[in-house]
Amino acid sequence: MKNSLLILLFFCVQFIYAQDENKQNISINFENSSTVNVIKKVEELTDYRFYFVDDWLGNELITGQYKDVTIQTLLDGIFKKTIINYYISPDNKIILTRSVLIYSSLPDGFFNESEKKISQNEDAVPEKFTEETSSVKFNIETVRIGKESSKSKLKKYTLTGIAKNSSNNNPIPNLAIIVQNKNINAVTDNNGYYSIELPVGNNIIETKSIGIQDTKKKVIIYANGTLNFYLQESAEQLQEVVIEANKDRNVKEAVTGITQIKIETIKNIPLVLGERDILKVATTLPGITTAGEGSAGFNVRGGKEDQNLILLDNGVLYNPSHFFGIFSALNPFTIKDVNIYKGTIPAEYGGRLSSVFDINTKNSNYEKLSGEASFGPVTSNIALEIPIIKDKSGLLVGGRGTYSDWILKSLDEKSLKNSTASFYDGVVKYSHKINDNNNLEATGYYSNDAFSISSDSLYIYNNRLMSLKWNHKFNNKNYGDLILVNSKYKFNIEFDGNSNNDFDLGYNVNETELKLKMRYLLNENHSFNYGISSKSYVVYPGNKEPKGSESIIETLKIPKEKALESAVFISDDFKVNKNLLLNLGFRYSFYASLGEASQKKYADGLPRNEGTVTDTLNFGKNEIIKTYGGPEIRASARYFLLSDFSVKASYNSTYQYIHTLSNNTTASSTDTWKLSDLNIKPQQANQYTLGFYKNIDGNTYELSLEGYYKKSKNILDYKVGADLLLNKSIEAEVLQGDGKAYGIEFLIKKTVGKFNGWIGYSYSRSFIKFDSEFSEERVNNGEFFPSNFDKPHDFSLVANYKITKRFSFSGNLAYQTGRPVTYPVGNYIFNGASYVLYSDRNKFRIPDYYRLDLGFNIEGNHKIKKFVHSFWNISIYNALGRNNPYSVFFVTENGKIKAYQSSIFSIPIPTITYNFKF
Amino acid sequence: MKKVKINHIIYLIIIVLIANSCIEPFDIKTTTTTTFESALVIEATITDEFKYQEINLSKTFQLEDNGPLAESGANVKIVDDGQNTYDFREISPGKYVSYSEFKALPNKNYQLQIITSDGKYYSTTPTPLTNSTQIDNIYASKEIDDLGFEKISILVDSFDPTGNSKYYRYEYEETYKIIAPKWSAYDLVVTSNVPPFSIEKVFKTREERVCYKTEYSNSIIQNETIGFSEDRVFRFPVRVLLKDNAIISHRYSILVKQYVQSLDAFTFYKTLNKLSGSESLFSQNQPGFFNGNVFSVNDPNEKVIGFFEVSSVSSKRMFFNFLDLFPGEPLPPYFTECEPFAPSNTFYANDPSDLFNLINSGSVKYYGENDKVDFTNPGPFLVVSPECGDCTKLGTNIKPDFWVE
Repeated sequence: MKNSLLILLFFCVQFIYAQDENKQNISINFENSSTVNVIKKVEELTDYRFYFVDDWLGNELITGQYKDVTIQTLLDGIFKKTIINYYISPDNKIILTRSVLIYSSLPDGFFNESEKKISQNEDAVPEKFTEETSSVKFNIETVRIGKESSKSKLKKYTLTGIAKNSSNNNPIPNLAIIVQNKNINAVTDNNGYYSIELPVGNNIIETKSIGIQDTKKKVIIYANGTLNFYLQESAEQLQEVVIEANKDRNVKEAVTGITQIKIETIKNIPLVLGERDILKVATTLPGITTAGEGSAGFNVRGGKEDQNLILLDNGVLYNPSHFFGIFSALNPFTIKDVNIYKGTIPAEYGGRLSSVFDINTKNSNYEKLSGEASFGPVTSNIALEIPIIKDKSGLLVGGRGTYSDWILKSLDEKSLKNSTASFYDGVVKYSHKINDNNNLEATGYYSNDAFSISSDSLYIYNNRLMSLKWNHKFNNKNYGDLILVNSKYKFNIEFDGNSNNDFDLGYNVNETELKLKMRYLLNENHSFNYGISSKSYVVYPGNKEPKGSESIIETLKIPKEKALESAVFISDDFKVNKNLLLNLGFRYSFYASLGEASQKKYADGLPRNEGTVTDTLNFGKNEIIKTYGGPEIRASARYFLLSDFSVKASYNSTYQYIHTLSNNTTASSTDTWKLSDLNIKPQQANQYTLGFYKNIDGNTYELSLEGYYKKSKNILDYKVGADLLLNKSIEAEVLQGDGKAYGIEFLIKKTVGKFNGWIGYSYSRSFIKFDSEFSEERVNNGEFFPSNFDKPHDFSLVANYKITKRFSFSGNLAYQTGRPVTYPVGNYIFNGASYVLYSDRNKFRIPDYYRLDLGFNIEGNHKIKKFVHSFWNISIYNALGRNNPYSVFFVTENGKIKAYQSSIFSIPIPTITYNFKF
Repeated sequence: MKKVKINHIIYLIIIVLIANSCIEPFDIKTTTTTTFESALVIEATITDEFKYQEINLSKTFQLEDNGPLAESGANVKIVDDGQNTYDFREISPGKYVSYSEFKALPNKNYQLQIITSDGKYYSTTPTPLTNSTQIDNIYASKEIDDLGFEKISILVDSFDPTGNSKYYRYEYEETYKIIAPKWSAYDLVVTSNVPPFSIEKVFKTREERVCYKTEYSNSIIQNETIGFSEDRVFRFPVRVLLKDNAIISHRYSILVKQYVQSLDAFTFYKTLNKLSGSESLFSQNQPGFFNGNVFSVNDPNEKVIGFFEVSSVSSKRMFFNFLDLFPGEPLPPYFTECEPFAPSNTFYANDPSDLFNLINSGSVKYYGENDKVDFTNPGPFLVVSPECGDCTKLGTNIKPDFWVE
């Protein structure tokens, strides 16, 4: 048919002089007749002969009354609501076409002859659109939107619609809609809606998403229209597809410094001790580092470990790690993805200076029971997805534990028998689709660690988190989320050393937040996010209780701290034009420290210590002690320099009202969180970012280059050797100073193909300064000095190579400048013993860090019917056996100085893990 | 809180992680001029005891060196706010002693002033005498720790009803009796160390069986009563001795000195102690330079180490015998192995015998006659290593004045 149409078009050339012959007027009445019958009637009444394909006309019944009208008027009437065009030849033949308008003239230059012919509309010189004849080799559905009108001058039309899963009618979010060979694409939103501008005429549209079968449609568009997709789930998940769903996110989004990691994409990365750890993968990306193996917490763009907001289904996860940070406290099978914001933080988030780690758990499968499990040398993981009401609700249950305690208990070694090292975590998520407009999700999470490394003390810490989210769709333009979360972090130290100062110490922080988040899609150019949130904090800094009857420890209870942190926020995704997209966010946060409490006042102009207290103020229950607050701007802009090359800039300001207290150089599980109060001010930061983003070869390669400059205020640090646990006047032990960080980050990612992975490099610096007129409050003479996590060079390479569908190799290579340390620069004798004189703080560095990990993955066969899909992973961590020093320290032993360096993994560590899935 | 033991962590990591983590010593050197920093170290604690007060001045030295560098030739004095000046003189390199005896008095502020030989001027903040609190009692207590080891703890009780003392630092001097286990009244002496070589058995001319040895604490021992219902030190362990420590074999004496410290001094010593203490593998203290109350007048940024303390002191001595605490139980093993042996005493031509060589080099002491000459013990006399037969190798044979049996 396409061939014949093409011929027809050529053929038309011969019928150039057309119009004024057709003067025969017609009178005709028809009621509920099919178009075919009406045409037959017209043929009976006149000399006109119609040429068409019956199918084109459809079965719709039409009604009409025409009296003494021209054939054109009649045909316009009949075909008005269809996509049929017509052409009347001089010999009274009427040729009907679908969409394609048969012009009586040829486009300019169609032949070499320059003769201009008269056309229906002299202004519109038609462009040539032919239905393609050979490029599509298999059958694809053709969709026609509108019909060509010779009056239209628009070259682009908007196609909108919704994508739904044909099996359960759920909307499909993040579905990529890609126009072949045209570099135009769109992604469906969370509710499955999309909007895409198509050039007039033929377009081949592909859809891609994880777990959804790819489709292709031919769309011939001549008007704005709607096209809905009803798509089937795909039988196997192809991880390449995941990335394609956000194919051009790199260049397209306005936000700077954003990273998304999906659990599927990290399946092949070499593991440490058999753990697939999404947060460890995050540290291979530029701008995110840890102080070293065995330190909990992250440093994002030169920020301290306490400056990251780590959210699990909207609830704050205070300690996302087990066993000193060697394992992350997340069960990989229950996690869907993590979005890391290190540049622009969306206005809805606040309360931390450096970054947001937004971790989302999976929704359960609503249809059939499924599960995943893995067995490694140290831990085992399991996750089950249990449908409760078919197609409506399901329960995700995940659990994880370690056998290390059992290993320790079975040892003969006396000093170890009493040791403990155990951890576990569990997550439960219930998701319920009430109807098309209402969804409910509830998550519960608990993690626990217990370890005892000296026989007289036992450390226990745990996270507890509950989250409830109700998602409501008011209409196609308004959506809302109501979120209620509570999280609690707690640790305990039991000290039992047979003397009169045995004690139990408990610390916990508890926060509850209520948040309303609304989304309003005003039009194509504006979409608003706005809302309000309020969070209450209660911190129990600790109580010390006597243990045993001989203990003379007085029960010491540091009074609890209370505070309220509230915020309003609004942001607009403003599409100024095709090239310029703005994301304008504003947040106003307000903090109130609440009683009851007593707070010390210190003399102005004197260093804070027990001796300079001038007054103690007492505050009643819920009385406001001190308020802080301020506007936070979160603005970013993207400009397309080319369709696959963009530049972005952003400005981000943040406040932080809660701080960790630790006199260790790296984060540890017993770091306490302290609320801002009369004497401790909130931290503040401003960050400027500029970046260039380029996708090459149809999004096969993603490149980004981003630079930032960050200034911060009131960063907390501690006086040398300060006592931070159970101290009633902590403000006298801490210092607040200025921070400054800058850097440039480069990332190249190959997301598809047999060989894929990424290379990240960053050059960054981070400094802090503590200046005061008193020497006890001054560090390094009040000059800027490198922070504990200042690592200028940071390089990572992550690569996967798929040999066959079942076998693949993977490798990680990491290199970092050694972190700064304070080094001994001399010895001295004091009181009969030898001590070390230390250099200025962080004047020296430990040796550089590098590590190579290798992995080999074997997938079970891919038979779809098979009940269990299995997967083996063999990894070698630190394959080069590099003895990376984690720290160096100096001990006075028997009056002599000894220097030690410690490292966590100093030999290659092979592990083998078995995973299966059903 | 007790510090985490490094050993435990090492084991744990090895076993739990089926990996190996390690803490390994490495050589630190500050020979390069870029890393070594020289600084003045001031040790100055004057007390409320009437005596010649003492101040020590030294300088920092390179890490691989052994001893301190004395700061000699300095002009040292203490002035009080009553304009009294106490001058000091250097009696040995770096050691300065007051010309006259004096004691710190309450309600007076003292200030230390030092001008070093290169003309730099150092001073301290005016410092008052701390509150005075007496040690009520010191006593020994038998304990068994978690790992099943028997120990003796030397415990201190003290009480300040005014509640003003709060911060305490302890020093001790321990003196113990040594009885040479393989003592003999005879000695072997060399009578000719040229051929023909000869040795002879003679009576000992000095006390070599019973000796005394005094040792001083060299660590920082502190205690605070903040957080307790009253300013009471109760069963505070100043010294812990394992049951098999040779020094408690017979009679043991300890003199405990309790210094009442100011908050500043307490904080200084505590920080010093923290930074020198053992660390856990996974977390470390932030080390760094910290100021005491001494400073350079010429250059406020110059690092000066030390603390000028004006402290009240109280001391108490106690004695105990091993057999009083562990009646009928075997004594702890001696300091060294004391198995007697009989080296050959055969002279070949002009060569000295094995025994002669050992005696001549002072490597053995006479113990007795060898009744069972055999292949392994061919000589006529049984000998032992010198510490076993002569206690002066370990201590002094002069009984200290305070010693009571």
